[in-house]
Amino acid sequence: MSSTQTIRAIQDNIALVIKGKSHVIEMAVVCLLARGHLLLEDVPGVGKTTLGHSLARSLDCSFKRIQFTSDLLPSDIVGVSMFNRQKQGFEFIPGPIFANIVLADEINRTTPKTQSSLLEAMSEAQISVDNQTHPLEQPFMVIATQNPAEYHGTFPLPESQLDRFLMRLRIGYPTIEEERKVLDRPHSLHPAESLRAVLSAQDVVALQATVDQVHMEEHVTDYLLAIVQATRQSELLSLGVSTRGALALSKSAKALAVVRGRDYCLPDDIKELAPIVLSHRVMLNRTHGMRTQSFDQAERLVLDIVETVPVPV
Amino acid sequence: MTFERAFALSSVLLAAVACSGLLFAQSLPLWLALPTALILILSVLQAGGMSVVRRRMARIIISPALSNSLSLGAFVIFLVDLIFFSRDLLPAGIHFLVLLLNIKLLTLQQRRDYRHLYALSLMAILASAAVTTDAWYVPIFLLYLFAAVWTLLLYHMTQETGSAAGAGMPAQPAIGPAAGPSRITAPFLWLTNGVVAMTVGMTLAIFFVIPRVGVGALQKTSGEALRTSGFSERVDLGTIGSVKQDPQIVMRVELPDRSAVSNDHLYLRGLAYDQYNGRSWSHSRTRQRSLGLVAEGIFLARPPSSRPPGSQSLTIRQDILLETLDTAVLFAAPFAELVSGEFLAVQADAMSGLHLPAPPSSRLRYSVTSQVPQLIAEERTATALDYPEAVRLRYLQVPAGLQRIDELAHRVVQGAATPFERTRAVQQHLLDNYRYSLEAEQATLNHPLEEFLFTRKTGYCEHYATAMVVMLRTLGIPARLVTGFLATEWNEYGGYFTVRQRDAHAWVEVYFPRSGWITMDPTPAVNAASAASRWESLGRFGASLRLQWDRLFVSYSAKDQLAVVHGMREGSDFVREQASRWVASLSGPSAKALSRLSAMARRFQPGMAGLVTGLFVVGLAIFLLMVRDRIGLWATLHLPIAPSQGAILQLYARMLRTLEQQGLRKPPSVTAREFAGFVEREWQAAGPLVACITDLYQQGRFSRRPLSQDELSLAAEQVGQLQSLRRM
Repeated sequence: MSSTQTIRAIQDNIALVIKGKSHVIEMAVVCLLARGHLLLEDVPGVGKTTLGHSLARSLDCSFKRIQFTSDLLPSDIVGVSMFNRQKQGFEFIPGPIFANIVLADEINRTTPKTQSSLLEAMSEAQISVDNQTHPLEQPFMVIATQNPAEYHGTFPLPESQLDRFLMRLRIGYPTIEEERKVLDRPHSLHPAESLRAVLSAQDVVALQATVDQVHMEEHVTDYLLAIVQATRQSELLSLGVSTRGALALSKSAKALAVVRGRDYCLPDDIKELAPIVLSHRVMLNRTHGMRTQSFDQAERLVLDIVETVPVPV
Repeated sequence: MTFERAFALSSVLLAAVACSGLLFAQSLPLWLALPTALILILSVLQAGGMSVVRRRMARIIISPALSNSLSLGAFVIFLVDLIFFSRDLLPAGIHFLVLLLNIKLLTLQQRRDYRHLYALSLMAILASAAVTTDAWYVPIFLLYLFAAVWTLLLYHMTQETGSAAGAGMPAQPAIGPAAGPSRITAPFLWLTNGVVAMTVGMTLAIFFVIPRVGVGALQKTSGEALRTSGFSERVDLGTIGSVKQDPQIVMRVELPDRSAVSNDHLYLRGLAYDQYNGRSWSHSRTRQRSLGLVAEGIFLARPPSSRPPGSQSLTIRQDILLETLDTAVLFAAPFAELVSGEFLAVQADAMSGLHLPAPPSSRLRYSVTSQVPQLIAEERTATALDYPEAVRLRYLQVPAGLQRIDELAHRVVQGAATPFERTRAVQQHLLDNYRYSLEAEQATLNHPLEEFLFTRKTGYCEHYATAMVVMLRTLGIPARLVTGFLATEWNEYGGYFTVRQRDAHAWVEVYFPRSGWITMDPTPAVNAASAASRWESLGRFGASLRLQWDRLFVSYSAKDQLAVVHGMREGSDFVREQASRWVASLSGPSAKALSRLSAMARRFQPGMAGLVTGLFVVGLAIFLLMVRDRIGLWATLHLPIAPSQGAILQLYARMLRTLEQQGLRKPPSVTAREFAGFVEREWQAAGPLVACITDLYQQGRFSRRPLSQDELSLAAEQVGQLQSLRRM
C-alpha cells in the first residue's frame, strides 16, 4: 500500500464515525504525520472526543484516555515511583501518558499545575520523574480537547503550553443531513469501538519519516516567513508567532503535502494551514477592544494578516 | 549589467541613433540641434550610470503636468513653424518630432514613456530616410536596428520580471520571482546579437523582394539641382572659371571595359559652340531632332552609317550616374552612338549634343556607347584638305577686327606644311607660352581673347580653347569649342571616374573631312598634386562604397527587381530542365507529371504569380499564427536565462495576462489554486484549462523535479487555447 493510499485509508476509517468533517479529519492526520499534538476546541458534544478516539482506534497502537478534572494531579498523568518491597527499591509505575496516542479530555478543566505536567511529555517525548528520564514510545501524540475559554470552570491553558500544540481545530456543528446519519446509527456501541486499525505504529513512524523528505521551495519558505513576520508586525496582535510557530507551520505544511499526495509544498498549503496552526499562538492586542481571547477572533485576525501577504508567483 | 540598466541605456541609445539620423541629414536648425545633442548626451550618460549626471538629471525631471504643457507648446511651435517658417509638412514635422523626443527623454519614468519614445524614434528614423539618400544612412540604420532589437528584447525581459515582481510584494524582495538571472549573460548577449543579424538579413531580403513603388510620399523634392555653367545657349568667356574650385560631385562614370581607355583622363562632352562674337560663344540656331528608338529604352544617337567612310574609331561604353543638375544636357564621351536609360525621349542637336526634354528632377542613370574618332594617317599627312561647303560656312566664322590674332596665328604656323601640323603648332604654342591661372578679372574686359593672348598671357581652359578655335579658323581650319567635363579622378576601388564641378572644362574639336571631329586640348594639364596619400585612397574607398550604396539601394528600382526575378526564373528554368531530364531518365510517369507541372509553370502569368505569392504570404501568416505559441514555447525553453522553471513561470504569467484581459485579475495575496477556483466559478469555459495550467505550474514551480518537455508543451497548448477563448 502506498503512503497516499494508507493515508486515505485512515481518513476513510475515521469518516465512518465522524460524519461530514473530512477537513477536520484530514487536519488531524496531518497533525499525526507532522509528529504534532492536536488541540480540539469546541462546545461540548460535537465529537471532539470521538475524533480523538477514532484516530487512536484507526492505528494499531496503544491508546490511553485521561479525563482531566479539577482534582487531577500530575502524578496521575506521568506515573509515580513506588517502593517495591521485593526489590527493596523504588519502582516507576508509568502513568497513562505512556501510550502512543493520549487523549487528554477537557484539558482546561484541570489546574495549571497538572496541565504543565504534560509540557515535557509533549515537547520532548520523555518524562522525568525523580531524576530519572523515561522516554515515551514512538509515535507519540497528544490529542487534547477543551471547551472554549469563556466557559465556566475552566483554567485557560498557559501560552507556553498552547504553543506546544501543533494545531488547534474546531469541529463545528454538522449539517442536518450529517446529523441525521449520526442519529441513524445503532446506539448500542460507542461508534469508535467498532473501528478496526488500518495502520501499525511502524507504519506511522515510516510515514512521519516521509514528511521530512518533502521539498519546500525557497520562495514558499519566504512566503511562510513573511506571514510569520506579518503577525509580529501587526498592530492587532500583542504577541506574534514564535519561531516554534514557524517551525510548526513548516512541519504541518510538509505533512499536508504528503496527505495530498505531493512531495513538495505549495503556498496554498501554508495559506490553508496558517489559521489553525498559528491562531492559538498569538495574543490579541487588548487596546483594540478585544477583551477576551476568542478562538473566532484570533482565527479571523490571522486570516486577515495572511491576506495581506502576497503569494509568490 | 542588469537588465534594468541595459534596458534604460539601450532605450536612450535608440532615441540617440534615430536623432543622429536627423542631425546628419542636416534637417535640424541649430537652435534645435544643439539642445537635442545636449539632452541626448546627458541622457546617455545618465542611463550609462554616471552617478553625477544621474543626480543632476533627477533634479530636473519634469512633472507630468509640465510635460503635457510642454508637448502642447511643441504643437503650437509646430503650427507656427508649418505656417510661417518651414511651410512644408516634412521639415516642420521633423522639428515637432525632435521636440517631442526631447520632452520624452526628460520625462522617462513609466514604461508607457518608453513605448512613446520607441514610437518617436521609429518616426525619426523614417523621417531621416525620407530626407536623405546618402550612404551615411547605412550605419545609422544598422545601429538603429541593433539598438531596437536590444531594446525590445530587454523591454520584454524587464516586463516579464517586472510583472512577476508586481505580483510579489515589492517591499519584500525575498519573495520575488525566480525568473532566472536578471543580468545580461554571455549567451543572452550572443543570442540578441544573433537576432540583430537575422533582422538585418530579413530586412535585406524584404527590401529586395517587396515590389517597389514609384516614389515615396515623403521623398525629398528635387528643389536643389546642382547649378552648372557652360551648358546654356550662350557661354561668356570666364563662366567656367567660377566653378573651378567647387568639389561637388556632378557624376560618376563607370567604364565596363576599361582596358579600351587610358585611365588618366576621359573627356565627357556636353555641348559644342560654333559662333563667337568676340566675347561669348553661342550656337547657331539649329533644330533639335528626337532620337529614334532601337529597342526599349535604347536610343540611337548617330547611326553607324553616318560615320565618314574609312574613319577609325575607338568604342567606349560608359555607365553614368548623373546627379541632379539644372541642365538638360546629357554628358558622354564623344561621340555617343547608343544611349540607354529611363528617359521618355532624347534629343540631339546638329553638333551632336544630347539633350533631355527637360532637366531631370532626380538622379539619372544611363549608359552610352561612344565612338571616339581617331585621326586617320592620310589626313595626318595630307597637305590640303577639302572641306565641305556647309562646314566651312559654319565653322570658319570669326568676329571682325582680329588682325593681331590673325598675324599671331600665321606666325605660329610658319613652317607647318599640313593642316594637322598647323593645328599641332597652334596647340603647342598655347601650351608653351601661356600660364594656367584661375585669377578671374576678365568680366570687365571688352576683348578677353586679345587680353589673354597678348597682355595677360594667363587664363584657363575657355581662354585657351577659344584662342585655339579662333586661331585655327583664321588659318582656314574648321574648329569649334566644346564644353563638358574632363574626368581625371579615377577611383580604383569602384572602377569609375568621379567627376566634380571643378572638372568642368572647355576644349576644341577640329574637323577633318574623313576622320570627323577630332578632340584637341590646348590647355596645359593643371598639376593636380596627386599625392596618393593613404587618406586620399581611403576617401576614394569611401566614395566607392557610397556609389555601391547608391546603385544597390537608393536607385534599386522595380526594373532592377524584375531583372533579378528574371535572372532567377532563368536559373530556375535551367534547374527545372535539368531536373526533369534527370527524372525522365529515372521513371516515365513521374516525368510526365513533372512536365505537366513545368508546363503549368510556364503558363504562369504575372498576375497569377502575384496571386500565388499573396496566397503563400497569407498561408505563412496563418501558419505562424498557429504555431505562435509553439514558437513562444520554443523560445522560452531555449532562452539561456530561462530554465524549465522559468518557462512554466512565463507561461503562467502569460495565462494571468490573458485572464486579466478578460477581466479576471489575480490579487497578489491569492494563491494559484484559489485563483483557479475563482476562474472556475467566474468563467466556466476556461476553468479546466486554468486548473490544468495551475497544476503544471505548481508542480514545475515548487517541486524539485523539473517539468518534462511534454508537460511544458501541454501547458503551452493550454495557454494557447485559453488565448483563443473569449469570455461572454
